[in-house]
Amino acid sequence: MKSEVMVGNKAVAYAVKLARANLIAAYPITPQTTIVEYLSEFVASGELPAEFVTVEGEITAQLVCLSGSIAGARAFTATSGEGLLYMSHALHHTARYWAPVVMAVANRSVRTMQPDHTDLLAQRETGWIQLYCENNQEVLDTGIMAYKIAEDDRVRLPVAFALDGYVLSFTAEPVSIPEQEKVDGFLKPFKSKYPVLPETWDAELEEYKKHWQQGKGINEPFTPFAGDENFSHLTMVSWGKGHDLQWRWRAHQEAMMRAKKVIKEVDEEYGRLFGRSYGGLLEEYRCEDAEAVIVVMGTLASTSRVAVDNLRKQGKRVGLVKLKSYRPFPSEEMQDIAKRVKAIGVIDRNISLGEGGIVYGSIRSALYDQVEKPKVLGYYAGLAGREVRVRDIENATEKTLKAIGSGVMDSTATWIGG
Amino acid sequence: MSKKMSIRDLRKEEVMWPGNPACQGCGGSIIGRLIFKALGRNSARVEVASCAPGFMNIRVPSFFGPAFEGAAAFMTGLARGYKIIGREDIVVAGLIGDGGTADIGFQGLSGAAERNENVFWFTYDNEAYMNTGGQRSSATPEFASTSTTPVAKMSRGKTSEKKNVPMILALHHVPYVATASVAYPEDLTAKIVYGKELRGFRYMHINSPCPTGWGTDPKDTIKIARLAVESGLWPLYEILDGRHFKLTYKPRELKPVSETLKIQGRFRHLKDEEIASIQKATTENWSRLLAIDGKDIF
Repeated sequence: MKSEVMVGNKAVAYAVKLARANLIAAYPITPQTTIVEYLSEFVASGELPAEFVTVEGEITAQLVCLSGSIAGARAFTATSGEGLLYMSHALHHTARYWAPVVMAVANRSVRTMQPDHTDLLAQRETGWIQLYCENNQEVLDTGIMAYKIAEDDRVRLPVAFALDGYVLSFTAEPVSIPEQEKVDGFLKPFKSKYPVLPETWDAELEEYKKHWQQGKGINEPFTPFAGDENFSHLTMVSWGKGHDLQWRWRAHQEAMMRAKKVIKEVDEEYGRLFGRSYGGLLEEYRCEDAEAVIVVMGTLASTSRVAVDNLRKQGKRVGLVKLKSYRPFPSEEMQDIAKRVKAIGVIDRNISLGEGGIVYGSIRSALYDQVEKPKVLGYYAGLAGREVRVRDIENATEKTLKAIGSGVMDSTATWIGG
Repeated sequence: MSKKMSIRDLRKEEVMWPGNPACQGCGGSIIGRLIFKALGRNSARVEVASCAPGFMNIRVPSFFGPAFEGAAAFMTGLARGYKIIGREDIVVAGLIGDGGTADIGFQGLSGAAERNENVFWFTYDNEAYMNTGGQRSSATPEFASTSTTPVAKMSRGKTSEKKNVPMILALHHVPYVATASVAYPEDLTAKIVYGKELRGFRYMHINSPCPTGWGTDPKDTIKIARLAVESGLWPLYEILDGRHFKLTYKPRELKPVSETLKIQGRFRHLKDEEIASIQKATTENWSRLLAIDGKDIF
C-alpha cells in the first residue's frame, strides 16, 4: 500500500479511479473544481478508462449520471454549494430512479465560498444517502465504500459524501492509497438492473400488462422481477399518470432504513480488508465512561478530538460522537448513547433558518421517546467558514457538562464565534 | 444529403400499440409514429415534459426524464452509457416539444450539440406549451394568440418573432440539421433514414399542428401543415456539418400566407396589415433561402 501527501480533492479523485467509475460528468465550482481536474488527468493519461462529459451546468451533470447509470455506467459527479442547489431537483430524480450514482460534495456555504454543511443538509429530503468525512484518508475510503453501499441490492440509492471545502479540499495530508486489486475484490463491476434496452422492452410491457390485468394498476408497486420485491420498475411507470403514488415514498423510505445495516456492514468489511473503518453510521471517541458528549460532523471532529483530550487530562468525563451518516440518520445509535450519558452538546455547522441547527433537531427528535433523557444543548460553529478553535469546542463541551443537574433547560442554541 | 423517397418506401413494421389518447387531429402523434417507423425498434426514446409521454404508445423503450430541462442530459447519459456497455448500435432519439427545446431545454441542447453527442434530437413543434394549456413559448410565431398572449384591447398576441432553433443549431456545426413537416412524410422519413447513419449530434425540427391549441379543425391538420410549407412559412431544408444548405422542397410558386393563417383560430384577429407584414417577412426569408440553396453557408 503506497502513501501520498494529497489534498482532499485528490483523495476523491483517487477513490473514483480505484472504484473504476466509467462515467464522469461535472461542472466547475470552487472548491470542488480540482476533483474533476484530477479526474480529467487520469482519463487523459489513460489511467482511468471513462467517459468524461464536460457539461454546461450542474443539472445536466446530475442527469447525465442518472441516465448513464440506468444504461449501465458507474457514474460520478462532484459539486459544491450553489452548484448543489442548482442541481437540487435532479437529485430527487436520481434517487427516485434508484440510480446508484455517487457524488462528492466539497461543502461550500451559500453565504461565502468557505465551508458549512447547509448546502448538503438542505438536500436531506432528496432521498440521497449522506456521509460526512473528517480527513482526507476518510474521504478516499468513503468514496470507495460509497459505491458498495449505493449498488447494494438492498439499497440502490445514490450516495453523496462530503468533505469540508478548503479545510479538506485544498489541504494536504498523508493518505494511504489502497491497491487496485484489493479494491477490485471489494467492489465488483456494476451492472444496471433495468437498462432501457430494445430487446427486453416488449417483455417488460407484457409484465406491466399482467400487472394491470391483476387489477393492480399504477397505484401499486410494479415489481416484475423475482427477488426484486423491494423495488418497483421505474423506467416506464415513471411518472404520475396516476395520482396516488405514495407507495413510492414508502419504498424509498424502506430502502433508506435498510441502508443503515448496509453502511455498517460495508464499513466493517472495508475495515477487515484495508485496516481502516469509521464506526459505520457514527464513531464514538472516548465515550466509554463519559458523562457528556459533543456531536459534530466533518472536520470539526478533528478539532473536537483535541478538545476532548484536553478536558480528559483535566479529569472531565467527556467524549465525542462523530456523526458520519446524516441520511439515513442513526437514531438507534443515538438512543443507545443517550442511555449512557447525562448531557449531549450538538455543534451544528449549518442552520435551518427559522428553526435552528439541523443535527440538533434530528437528535432531539430521536431521543423524544426515551424515558430517561439526557440534556441536549445546541451550538452553532464554523458557519460560512468561521474559524473554530480548540478552545471554542472546549467551552461548548464544558457548558454541556455543567448542564448536568441544572434544572431548567434552555433550548436556545449558542452561537460560537459570533 | 437525404435521398428522395416515395410514400411506398416507408417501413411496414408498426411501432405503435393500439389506442391513442391524444386530441383529435394531433400532429405530434403522427410525427412520433413516423419517426420511430423510420428509426426502427433498435432505438431508445427520451421524453421530457410534453404531450409526448402521455399519448405516444410507441413500442420502443421509453426513458421518461422527469426534468423538463434535461432532455439533452438524458440523451447524453443514455448514449454514453450504451457506449460503455458496448451498445452503440442503439439509436438514442429524443422526442421533445418546442418548450423542452427552445426554452427550458435550450442550455442543455446547446451543450450537447457543442459536445457533438451521438444522439438524434427530434423537436415536434406545436408552437406553444400545449400540454399545459397553450402558453406561449419562444417557438410561438409573432401575433399568435395563446393563453399567455391573449388578444385583447391592449394586446395583439405574441409580440416577438419565433426563435429559429434549426439555424442556431446549424451554427453549432453539428453533422445534421433538418426541418420537416407532418404533411411531408416521405421527406421526413428520407431525412431520418439519412441522419440515422450519421454519428454525432443530429437535429430535426418538425412542424406539428395542434388543433386544440391553434384553434383549427382536427381534419385540417395535414392541410395546415402543407399550406405552411407551400407558403414558405415552414421551409423544408437540411444542413450538413452546419455548412451545406439544401432546400428539400421548393414550391414553384409560394401560396399566400393568408390561406393557412385564416383557418387558424390563433390568427383570427389578424388585420390586413398584420398579415401583410407576415407575408413580407416570409417572402423575404424564402428568397434568402433560395439564394443559399445548394451552397455552402457560413
